[in-house]
Amino acid sequence: MSNSTAHEEHAGGGSKEIIKVTVILTVLTIVELILGFWMIDIPLSSTGVRMAIKGTIVILMMAKAFYIVAYFMHLKHEIKNLIMTICVPLALFVWFIAAFLYDGNSFRNLRNTYDPHYKEQSTIKVEKKEHGKDEKHGEQHQDSHKEKKAAE
Amino acid sequence: MATTATAPITKSWSGGKSPFNVEYGKLMMWYFLMSDAFTFGAFLISYGTIRFSTNGWPDPNAVFKSFPFAPEGANAPLVFVSVMTFILIISSVTMVLAVQAGHNMDKKKVTTNLIWTIIGGIAFLSCQAWEWNHLHHEGAWWGSNPFLNADGTASSTNFTNYFFTITGFHGFHVFSGVIINIIMLIMTLTDQFEKRGHYLMIEKAGLYWHFVDLVWVFVFTCFYLI
Amino acid sequence: MSNEAVLHAPAEAGLHLDAHGDDHHEHHHHETFISKYVFSQDHKMIAKQFLITGMVWAVLGGLMSVLFRLQLGYPDSTFPFLQDLLGKWAEGGKITPEAYYALVTTHGTVLVFFVLTAGLSGTFANFLIPLQIGARDMASPFMNMLSYWFFFAASIVMLSSLFVETGPFSGGWTAYPPLSALGDASPGSKTGMDLWLISMALFVVSSLLGGLNYIATVLNMRTKGMSMTRLPLTIWALFFTAVLGVLSFPVLFSGFILLIFDRNFGTSFYLSDIFINGVGALPNEGGSAILYQHLFWFLGHPEVYIILLPAMGMVSEILSVNSRKPIFGYMAMIGSLFAIAILAFLVWAHHMFVTGLNPFLGSVFVLLTLLIAVPSAIKVFNWLTTLWRGNIRFTPGMMFSIGFVSLFISGGLTGIWLGNSALDIHLHDTYFVIAHFHIVMGVASMFGMFAGIYHWFPKMYGRFLNNTMGYIHFWVTLAGAYLIFWPMHYQGLAGMPRRYYDYSAWESFKQFTELNRFISTVAMIVFAVQLLFLFNFFYSIFKGRKVTTTNPWGANTLEWTTPINPGHGNWVGEIPEVHRWAYDYGKDGKEFIVQTKAVGADESHH
Repeated sequence: MSNSTAHEEHAGGGSKEIIKVTVILTVLTIVELILGFWMIDIPLSSTGVRMAIKGTIVILMMAKAFYIVAYFMHLKHEIKNLIMTICVPLALFVWFIAAFLYDGNSFRNLRNTYDPHYKEQSTIKVEKKEHGKDEKHGEQHQDSHKEKKAAE
Repeated sequence: MATTATAPITKSWSGGKSPFNVEYGKLMMWYFLMSDAFTFGAFLISYGTIRFSTNGWPDPNAVFKSFPFAPEGANAPLVFVSVMTFILIISSVTMVLAVQAGHNMDKKKVTTNLIWTIIGGIAFLSCQAWEWNHLHHEGAWWGSNPFLNADGTASSTNFTNYFFTITGFHGFHVFSGVIINIIMLIMTLTDQFEKRGHYLMIEKAGLYWHFVDLVWVFVFTCFYLI
Repeated sequence: MSNEAVLHAPAEAGLHLDAHGDDHHEHHHHETFISKYVFSQDHKMIAKQFLITGMVWAVLGGLMSVLFRLQLGYPDSTFPFLQDLLGKWAEGGKITPEAYYALVTTHGTVLVFFVLTAGLSGTFANFLIPLQIGARDMASPFMNMLSYWFFFAASIVMLSSLFVETGPFSGGWTAYPPLSALGDASPGSKTGMDLWLISMALFVVSSLLGGLNYIATVLNMRTKGMSMTRLPLTIWALFFTAVLGVLSFPVLFSGFILLIFDRNFGTSFYLSDIFINGVGALPNEGGSAILYQHLFWFLGHPEVYIILLPAMGMVSEILSVNSRKPIFGYMAMIGSLFAIAILAFLVWAHHMFVTGLNPFLGSVFVLLTLLIAVPSAIKVFNWLTTLWRGNIRFTPGMMFSIGFVSLFISGGLTGIWLGNSALDIHLHDTYFVIAHFHIVMGVASMFGMFAGIYHWFPKMYGRFLNNTMGYIHFWVTLAGAYLIFWPMHYQGLAGMPRRYYDYSAWESFKQFTELNRFISTVAMIVFAVQLLFLFNFFYSIFKGRKVTTTNPWGANTLEWTTPINPGHGNWVGEIPEVHRWAYDYGKDGKEFIVQTKAVGADESHH
């Protein structure tokens, strides 16, 4: 294989592009980190703001993924058919994620509705002590809970 | 049906050549990575499902807040993991440069960039080893979670279970990536690619390496940020 | 163009091509017994290896079903020979409950994965893809060989699990936790389950290696002129099968890794609120057993199409060849295969309607599930219209293909019942489900496999299978399959649950005692006829009627342009160029026109 054809084949690469993408990835990561630091100071109770920030981080994550796949993995410069055969199957993730998370959420609601002990358990605050203590505490509660269940 | 069409064979799909103009190895690597994406996807989606089905979850900032040689009780969330992220991004950049040098048949540049990539990979693995070790000393492991939920309630062990399983699986991929890159380096140094007349093998190794970087983008977001 | 050289390097370089010489390709490169029959990289030999390993497993899996049918049909009797066969698992000539569950579990696992996945698509994807697309071999013959040997390793591990002291895994082929996650749950959940998981992990690797190869080969290695819309439907079906496997097996793999952690490392991905008699409450908290089912069925549902699609593809081809008519609705056939492949990924939770799945989510899954009826019906109508007014040759392969269509209709229709979440409340885990999936996926795919074996045996071994034995095999198997599984629908509707050891203890199921005995008897007869087929197979390899022409069926596809016993590399000389689709039967008064024939100037279009 001669150099010239190799070049033609992979047109669109080039050091300039690599530098550009590196800068973009760095900036995106820094923005993500800034959002992360910002979120530390936002109280748990303001769910809306936290969710909005998390959503933004997820979008930034997708953007990063796009730049890595498109430029570093060179997909953008492949033939369109190849791009399609790779991107179309990944669309399965949409339903994969939606159904799993929806059902996970539903499982929590079911447990909170029909398992009052579980719900109560998850509202008891554990005092911050040494590591490992809180675990035992939880276990005792669960034990009594299970015996009760088994007896039913 | 135009199946007996008499038109001359010019289109890329009509056989006799690759419709994508890529050799089969690269095609297989792409599809392998796709299937691997489903492996990681399944892990991360399970993690999400369990998180959605659990009341309360630990705050990552309260968990990952230390770094090597930090003073006792240091509170520096996100610092160490951002270092790890940048190490991986930079190693990905050097890998791109190695692939590009391969296209130009520039053995010297391939070698230097591969070496940098390998160093980056080893650095990342070392960081991960340190972090695992640190968390283990705090009492975290598979089946044991010393951390509390963000709201102060008792947390299930699934926080640490998933953390160690998924970062472990990713670490395993980084490890195999480093091994692959070392093999590529040896093959470059022994002129195997020069003899073949092309460095396409490095391109495939590069795809794998970028994929590892790509997965980290998701793991980093899911475990450290949100 | 230098690029071309690279693109075609694997096909040419890897094979030491023997492009010259009319006969005896074998003489060109030295082949030892090991490189020809054991670690062979020839796709035809690998296909035969898959086939014969699959047959061994089919016999074992079938024998297991005979054994547990013996228990179901004769719950009060003892059979001393069982103790000789199973030892302590059949103390006093009666299968123990543990052994019964182990038999049911292993029967399911082996038949689904080893016979109908590896044995079916492993065999025919390997055999037919290079031959029908016009390639010397697979894209990577070496990976192809690895694929078989990983399957072989998986087989050995699974086989060894039958001999461990605590017995093989016995929690059902779906391996739901907590039964599969806790060694204390049952004897089979101890070492047997570990071996089961190792075996399945090896199997996933095998099917990935194979699947990637099939996809790359179909896309990249087609001969000149073989555009995608000229491919025989077998190749399309095998292609989609490979895509399904590549995208869904990894999810199972992840699910299994989490299960391994739950078993061995004290995690609780799938475990919560567990109380074991004699052990007490477990510390494993916070997991969800439903999560495993989601992960399992994300593979599990595509898996049934991994099993079914190759059979569909081969049946389409065989029906067309033996009706001497073009396949009806070629593009619709591809489209429906594609639709099935997509829908296969979207419907997994219809196996989980009564697990505590969110009912609203369930209703979405009902909708998506019932959509599968559309492409399935398209396929059925196209098969029937292909047969319609055809000049049908009732070869054994053709008989099995028609049998496939019959079974696919019978089994598919009950799928519409089961796809409704409301009906499923009554029908789940009853014999209705057993009947449904055995007919539509088990027996139908076996029929597809038999059809393929009868049809392509001349290409595999250069001899024909015996027709008389073939017809006996077909009629007894078809009648037997309906006699076994049809009555199970009634049992299921009456509420008879699956996986029970002894139904005579229930007043409401006593009425089925005679019926169960009848089913068991038929099952044994059908099993015996499969042994007749095996005899036919191995006898015909050595003593069968010799094939004398290269194209005994008068088929259009490329595999019949190779020599009667093709060597490694398939074609002597140049790979033929393709000028037309695979289904020019009865065109312009000609009985068939092979794909390699150039289109004449006066030829009509269709």
